[in-house]
Amino acid sequence: MKVLTRAGTEAIQVPKKKPITGARAIAEAVKLADVDVIAAYPIRPYTGIMNALAEMIANGEFTAEIIVADSEHSQFEIAKHASAVGARTFVGSSGVGLAYAAEAVIVTAMDQLPVVAIAGCRALDDPGNFGMEWNDVLLFRDSGWLVSWAKDPQEALDMTLVAYRVAEDRRVMLPHFIAVDGATITHIAAPVDVPPKKDVTEFLPPYRPPYPLDPAYGPVTKAQHIAPSLIGPEQRKHVDVAMKRSREVIADAWRDYANYVGRKYDPFIEAFHMDNAEVALVTMGAYTINALRAVEEVRRDGVRAGLVRLRYFRPFPSWDLRRVLSGVEGVGVLDFSYSFGSPDSGGVLFNEVRAAMYEDPKPALDFLFLGGREPKPAEFVKALKILHEYVRTGKTPGDKRVFWLTLRGEDV
Amino acid sequence: MVALPEERSLGSSYLEELIWVAIHGRGVWHTGPATTLARTLAMAGMMAGRESYYYMRYDDSPERVNIPMMFYVVMGDPKVGVLLPEEVEPVGNLFSAVVVMDSGLLLKETSQRASLLDGVRDNAAIVVNTGLSPGQVTALLRKYQPSRGWSGKLVTVSASKYHTNVAFGLIGALLRAWNVVSLDHVLSALEVLKIDEGAGRAVASAYGDALVTEVVLSAEGSEAAREGGARVPELRAGSWDAETYREYQRALSQARGYEDRIRVMPRWEVIAPGLIEFGPRPGEKNLGFKTDFARIEAPVVDKTKCIDCKLCSYYCPDGAIDFKSIEVDYDYCKGCGVCARVCPVKAIRMVSELERVEGLEDPELKKLSLAVREYGY
Repeated sequence: MKVLTRAGTEAIQVPKKKPITGARAIAEAVKLADVDVIAAYPIRPYTGIMNALAEMIANGEFTAEIIVADSEHSQFEIAKHASAVGARTFVGSSGVGLAYAAEAVIVTAMDQLPVVAIAGCRALDDPGNFGMEWNDVLLFRDSGWLVSWAKDPQEALDMTLVAYRVAEDRRVMLPHFIAVDGATITHIAAPVDVPPKKDVTEFLPPYRPPYPLDPAYGPVTKAQHIAPSLIGPEQRKHVDVAMKRSREVIADAWRDYANYVGRKYDPFIEAFHMDNAEVALVTMGAYTINALRAVEEVRRDGVRAGLVRLRYFRPFPSWDLRRVLSGVEGVGVLDFSYSFGSPDSGGVLFNEVRAAMYEDPKPALDFLFLGGREPKPAEFVKALKILHEYVRTGKTPGDKRVFWLTLRGEDV
Repeated sequence: MVALPEERSLGSSYLEELIWVAIHGRGVWHTGPATTLARTLAMAGMMAGRESYYYMRYDDSPERVNIPMMFYVVMGDPKVGVLLPEEVEPVGNLFSAVVVMDSGLLLKETSQRASLLDGVRDNAAIVVNTGLSPGQVTALLRKYQPSRGWSGKLVTVSASKYHTNVAFGLIGALLRAWNVVSLDHVLSALEVLKIDEGAGRAVASAYGDALVTEVVLSAEGSEAAREGGARVPELRAGSWDAETYREYQRALSQARGYEDRIRVMPRWEVIAPGLIEFGPRPGEKNLGFKTDFARIEAPVVDKTKCIDCKLCSYYCPDGAIDFKSIEVDYDYCKGCGVCARVCPVKAIRMVSELERVEGLEDPELKKLSLAVREYGY
């Protein structure tokens, strides 16, 4: 499409993409997925998404039940129960709000209800810190939720659509978090292409719940009380098997997404400059592009650096990670999570990466960006320098393995 | 493996390769117009073939009324992409244009204690929505905004004359001194975004009317800069007592501009465990909690009418009106106007901060209308 200039002499090409915020992009995905029930409770950065959805519904752009809850706990209970009666549901929160919802969040997975939720990656604050940290999402890393991590508003939109497809697959039937790195995705307007409804409907048909709590489908009871001597590990095994099966389902879904919608992604990891990399950074989320710039910067100095981004945290793509890191001599994790007192006092991602590499260990360093303070591009370059020096000489400043690069004061 | 050169670092030069526009406004009042302005510029940038982003500075909490807040528009080469710094620091040579939606912002540093001139490139355009003359605006910049020396173009426009949304008048004015996108790009962007026809007319008219003035601000000439920067407190081993805390608060209150503020923020070793914030000594002010930056209007008490009933003091939500004798503490008054409402004898009048401090009346300041904000935060 082109529009004419005032003089009518010259045509200006209209780009396919328009700058829209990540919040709006996710709301567009929810609309395209034709969600039935949306549970809302305001918290940065989810507020932006629920406001955009409320506006769309008010404008008659689509129909959905939007329920404003009295708290995050009720909000996730609403989503859970709506899913149990057969609705396609959408919900989201962040930070301490997500922590407050914990009971409902965890039971949603054990009940195998395919709720799709946005997790806002907000610092678990003493009130006020709305910076980006991963620990709110990682509270639920062990709970049976699928967790994917978006890189930008476009991917947040795409991931939301794929999340419904994966979560609702009969082989999986698990709830799905899409982690977005706080305002860095929801409140940045970046060029986004919203796919046509027709393509999405073919990719994502309406949800057909297997055993909805609806008398029209016959009488069922869901999540009844049980004694562990009768049913215990058997229920957990279902979640375990579903999580294992999701690997194949996720790969299929992204392949189909490329076929129907036309945007192609490697399902589990995105690798940059890894063909001949000697050192590699591993990270997730929005700072990938900044990390890529740092990698390209040191490559100009002759350092063969590469970058790996995990697109899924659960299931954790150990197989892809081992394959892509097999040739490197050292790994540096750009980590926005903490786990005080963990092995080497490293972040959660660091220790997950090390666990995945246990059979083929690589020298690994952790670079922590905590408390929500934004890392600067120079700090990523510094991380690469420390890593490179470590691989070259076996030495690091202060003989440490874990570095707090944005800290003011001595990194003891 | 090769050894890396020691001094090579990415630094802010990397951000400086991108094209940045900073937009200054007031929380809630301007979040709507600032969004319109940023989105229109970003779309125009896309029309001009540049990868374009816009966002608000999240640290500022722009959902809070009156708070000085910033939006950014950033454009880059689509082949390279744009970095995603949400809280980009206003340092170095970033902004090729600065838009100021409210002339009251010329009086103070922002809530981040950044100067309007922090991070501004030489030869940049500073666009101010105001009914004041270019000479008056220049004098305010010189008096209140610390600068390391800057020269560029000042563009003034009464944006509310052209459209109820001041974004369009400001875009028209911006285009007079900033050529990253053309008027055609903006008009076609408005068409693509399906914004009403009046918007395009407003941009074109303001483009014709805006006043462009060359301005040179020397570092020595800036009164604000002359007052000097803050002194970083000495680090004493194991010290996180009340006195150390107060020393840092004092230093922060003296900081001039963004870099100075960051320089005096405490190291972790001097912050008390559990984030204790010590109060001031009796009779002293809590310098770390000044809230004057949030004030658009200020109460002025007419002592000849005041009957000393104390109602304003009781009602003041910030405890900023003294009880013994009715005096407003302008370090903490946020200008909410409750005191003027409750005064039984109408002895308190709300005037713009610009009028109270400088005796200047800016008609644009009287036209702030509650704009609908976009999508929340």
